[in-house]
Amino acid sequence: MGDPGDDALLVLFANGDGQAARDLTGRLGPRTYSVALRVLGNRAEAEDVAQEAMMRLWQMAPDWQPGRAKVSTWLYRVTLNLCLDLKRRRRTEDLDAVPEPQDESPSVPERLQEAARIDALQAALMQLPERQRQAVILRHIEELPNPEIAGIMDISVEAVESLTARGKRALARALAGRRTELGYDDG
Amino acid sequence: MAENDTDLDALFAAARQERDFLPEDLAARMLADAQAVQAVRAASETAPEPAKRPGLWSQLGSALGGWRGIGGLATACAAGVWIGLAPPAFLPDPAELLYPQSDTDLFADLSLSDLNAEEG
Repeated sequence: MGDPGDDALLVLFANGDGQAARDLTGRLGPRTYSVALRVLGNRAEAEDVAQEAMMRLWQMAPDWQPGRAKVSTWLYRVTLNLCLDLKRRRRTEDLDAVPEPQDESPSVPERLQEAARIDALQAALMQLPERQRQAVILRHIEELPNPEIAGIMDISVEAVESLTARGKRALARALAGRRTELGYDDG
Repeated sequence: MAENDTDLDALFAAARQERDFLPEDLAARMLADAQAVQAVRAASETAPEPAKRPGLWSQLGSALGGWRGIGGLATACAAGVWIGLAPPAFLPDPAELLYPQSDTDLFADLSLSDLNAEEG
């Protein structure tokens, strides 16, 4: 028997199942935090947003109607809306968003190189217009299909394609001058 | 352009390495929230219904001693009405007590002219 889906876990959670709470946190918590971190570019704010988004999931659980939508889609949407709310409240951007290093990363120099690349990507992402950044993150980091992104962002699939294409071009331009620095110009 | 695309794809791949990471303290806070929500829900489901205030008829019934008391009171009322309408022979007629009747005609020997003369 396979693992229960998010729908089933949410029903179990609403019925008081403690293991379902742990499973849902393990499944959905990292993606919620990851999206918030990439969109906001600030770790502390991303933690606050991710915690609030999960809190809304817990509170919504008894009213969830299985089969109507994907739990993850609903959660991505709530997370992006919370990010937008936060950005409206603050206008100064904080680019200090160095994600936690992976425990099992290969070696110190490689890890530093990897961290530098992720930093550079994050800095370039923060230069994109809001909607382009959201679409690029959902498509190329979260690897969601375009129709799901369209549902999350409440736009057409064509609009998603347009946003991601323009976003990628802008990122490529922003990073073009840093190829050597990021270790892509060895030869 | 293709080179730039390759670089960008590599950067996306590096970012994807971290998308499954959740800081331990954040995971603990998420879980604590979940447990708190579950506890509140469980408490609201097991809490007894607030006691309803008894209605007017219920309070009146209690004051009169319950259904037995009310039954006795109704019987006494019915008996009182019956005695009033058809009193037993050994009891005086209450109507007569209120409006006594006499066989003696006080004015039997007087004529109208006598009465007028007395007043005049």
